Amino acid sequence: MTIKSIHGCIGCGECVQACPCDVIRLDPDTGKAVIAYPADCQICHLCRMYCPVDAIEMSPEKSIPVIVAWG
Amino acid sequence: MTSKNHPTHPNRRTFLGLAGAATGLAAAGMRAGWAENRPSVAAADIVGNVHETDVLVIGGGMAGLFAAVKAHDAGARVLLVSKGRLGSSGLTPFAKGFFVFDPKTEKGSIDDFVAGVSRSALGTNNPVYTRQLAEHSLARAKELSDWGFFDQTLCHRPFLKPIAERGIPRLERVMITDLIRQDGRIAGAAGFSLDGDGAVLTLRARAVILCTGAGGFKPNGFPVCDLTHDGSVMAYRIGARVTGKEWNDGHVTRSTHPAACYDAWGDMFDRVPGTNGVEIHHDLGVDVNYVAYKTGNPLPGGPPGMVEDSAIEGGPVTPAEFRRAPGGPPPGADNDRPPPPPGGPEGKGPGRMGVPMGGASAGMAIHKSEGLVPIDDRGTSTVPGLFAAGDALGSHMAGGIYTQIGSSLAGSAVQGAISGEAAAEYARGVDLAQLPEARLAEIRSDILAPLTRSAGYGPAWVTQTLQGVMIPNFVLYIKKESMMRAALAYVEELRDHHIPMLRAADLHELRLAHETANMILTAEMKLRASLMRTESRCSHYRLDYPEIDDRNWRAWINIFQGQDGTMQLEKQPFDSWPAFG
Amino acid sequence: MQVSFKSITIAAGLGLLVLMPLGLYFVADVPRRSLLKEALSLLTIVSFVAVIAQLFLARSDRAVNLLFKAPTVQRIHRIVGYGAIAVLALHPFLIVLPRYFEAGVRPLDALVTMLTTFESLGVVLGLIAWGLMMLLGVMALFRMRLIRRFGLRYRGWRAVHGGLAAVFLITALWHAMALGRHTGLMLGGFLIALAATGLGLLARLYLLERPRPQPNVQGAST
Repeated sequence: MTIKSIHGCIGCGECVQACPCDVIRLDPDTGKAVIAYPADCQICHLCRMYCPVDAIEMSPEKSIPVIVAWG
Repeated sequence: MTSKNHPTHPNRRTFLGLAGAATGLAAAGMRAGWAENRPSVAAADIVGNVHETDVLVIGGGMAGLFAAVKAHDAGARVLLVSKGRLGSSGLTPFAKGFFVFDPKTEKGSIDDFVAGVSRSALGTNNPVYTRQLAEHSLARAKELSDWGFFDQTLCHRPFLKPIAERGIPRLERVMITDLIRQDGRIAGAAGFSLDGDGAVLTLRARAVILCTGAGGFKPNGFPVCDLTHDGSVMAYRIGARVTGKEWNDGHVTRSTHPAACYDAWGDMFDRVPGTNGVEIHHDLGVDVNYVAYKTGNPLPGGPPGMVEDSAIEGGPVTPAEFRRAPGGPPPGADNDRPPPPPGGPEGKGPGRMGVPMGGASAGMAIHKSEGLVPIDDRGTSTVPGLFAAGDALGSHMAGGIYTQIGSSLAGSAVQGAISGEAAAEYARGVDLAQLPEARLAEIRSDILAPLTRSAGYGPAWVTQTLQGVMIPNFVLYIKKESMMRAALAYVEELRDHHIPMLRAADLHELRLAHETANMILTAEMKLRASLMRTESRCSHYRLDYPEIDDRNWRAWINIFQGQDGTMQLEKQPFDSWPAFG
Repeated sequence: MQVSFKSITIAAGLGLLVLMPLGLYFVADVPRRSLLKEALSLLTIVSFVAVIAQLFLARSDRAVNLLFKAPTVQRIHRIVGYGAIAVLALHPFLIVLPRYFEAGVRPLDALVTMLTTFESLGVVLGLIAWGLMMLLGVMALFRMRLIRRFGLRYRGWRAVHGGLAAVFLITALWHAMALGRHTGLMLGGFLIALAATGLGLLARLYLLERPRPQPNVQGAST
């Protein structure tokens, strides 16, 4: 998980626009934000910081294997 | 800006309308990599929109902001297009230190500053751009202050203030994939919108300013995953020269949750931007990478900075004048942060997340070192009408090593403003170039091609393969010929066989496909430039050529596309401008 | 015996109206946050339950009116009502309050974004409910003057107050279900059940209960 959950979304779309990596989209049926592309989340928290109702919870874990320069 | 038959400025309302209408692609993100490609959007149904402007600014970070504002103030019609949102994409949201040279408070002169940077940079900096930074930083900081930039953590609203006041139209969440050159000069750009049913956009312009930042290989642990060198690759494809690809940025991440940028750097991400004065170092190089290469993980003596330099022989050389005192900030740590508040650092941040791991910013060079080759001090590229500013411009303002704290953000502001005025001036003297229909059709077809492939390679998989080839310490950072040749063989395979077969199931994946192609070409540039520079200097370290070679290498490396389409490299002596235009 | 009946009723009421929602809150699958944010959420939830509970602290609830004296019930109705309205009136501000203490969008900017997201039905319903609630509160405060001014009798006032309350509650509940962080299946279901019961009592009072013949009225006798 990266963005862990979204609770209490009002559908303003701030997070969709704030996300540099296009991870979040508005669900066309509910009008609420959904984590559409979790693999592309860079865990930068911009979505959480821009959310006016503090609806987004983050997790530090990446949803796909992480490649670093050494281990 | 004028527009034909369509709205050009999707504000929040219209954007939401679009998004609500057709974003039925939530599930697509989890599509299995081997599944048949069943696009959720039909390429044939995607509309085409045309916009016209005098100066097109590509990128909505610090450089793009000032480019747009100053081009507008110089009398040009401006259109700002961004892959994300103004002030909320690229590295701008995360840079908190803004260098200001204030003659009232500085002890030394600007000459002293430039000389200091040049000494630390071992000649790799372009002193014209270094001086320009110092001369203009105070004025830019003043403007930012007026717009409220230094009053809050997030910069979208402060950036929006001058843009909205001037009525500068924005196109956001639009990925530009192509620069268009006609009759030898710039004619505009093309790309596609990520929202709704998508749209192919043709942006006709008299002048274009690339403010696209630099990029990386979507690495883990630093917020550069949306930056994929789009600008320099697009410019390279239309014949521009690109430089600085052999330098490395040595940001590290942490062993616990290495992908979690915020958790490792949170105290910085949370901070309100501030200014700082002259403070020249020799930072963000590959010293930690060298120690890790020699000793393995975990690094001896705990966090970097605590490592006894003398304990490990060889490695990148820091000039004695710029060595940090033991116990100072770790090399490779981000120094673009204002000093911590009294009482010591906050609970979060480096140190709490385990030992350092390399490659957090893999694929990115030192700020301002890689990008378009300027032919003058105004960000003018080798393609008439094409300008660049900030990390998209290979100005070598700081050099091949990060020299002045806070100079990255300030440099983007300064260069953005200057290129904005230069582009507006250029645009006054030319007409819009004609764009043949056939060429536009060809571009559209190229943009949408991944959506039309029923089979192919998923961009996420290709990117991971590229990361596996490029990010290891012994390829990208601690370089030697044999490994780079091996990596180049992989990269050429990806370039020749995989780029043409990238597939996309939706607009998000279409963006990934184009980003992946850009990263592959960048990887080739980085390997070729690193192979060519047979010495070690600043953030470029060769295990097989560990010494500085002033006889042969007081020169930058420029990369360009040859007549036959192959990648060509040439030397450009330090302290000189390219001899072509 | 009556005392213990009263105690049992009070205990049951508190259990149903305070402990039950708190319990449902804690078992809901929603991440825990800072103490301040959790406290504000709880305060808001309890206040909303209290507003629904007004239906049971009124003439419509025969059981309560049998056990307790009417002035006592009315006093509690007023105290709980004004208190809960105060919290709910502030709850849009309480949502952005924690931003004063952490990085991110500034509280006022967040408030403006929130209150102008008219594309969201939940937000629009919330704005309407907020308006209705303020109207209810103000009318209740000045009920004596209103009754005099418009020549209403008590029943007229009760119809206006109860009718407005019903419209407000349905709007507010819809709003809470649409946007609430914690109004999932459990807490949401509880709120709906509670409101449905209360509105049922109100409906019985208004629609089924005919006015009793008043003995002091002189009329033609057969």
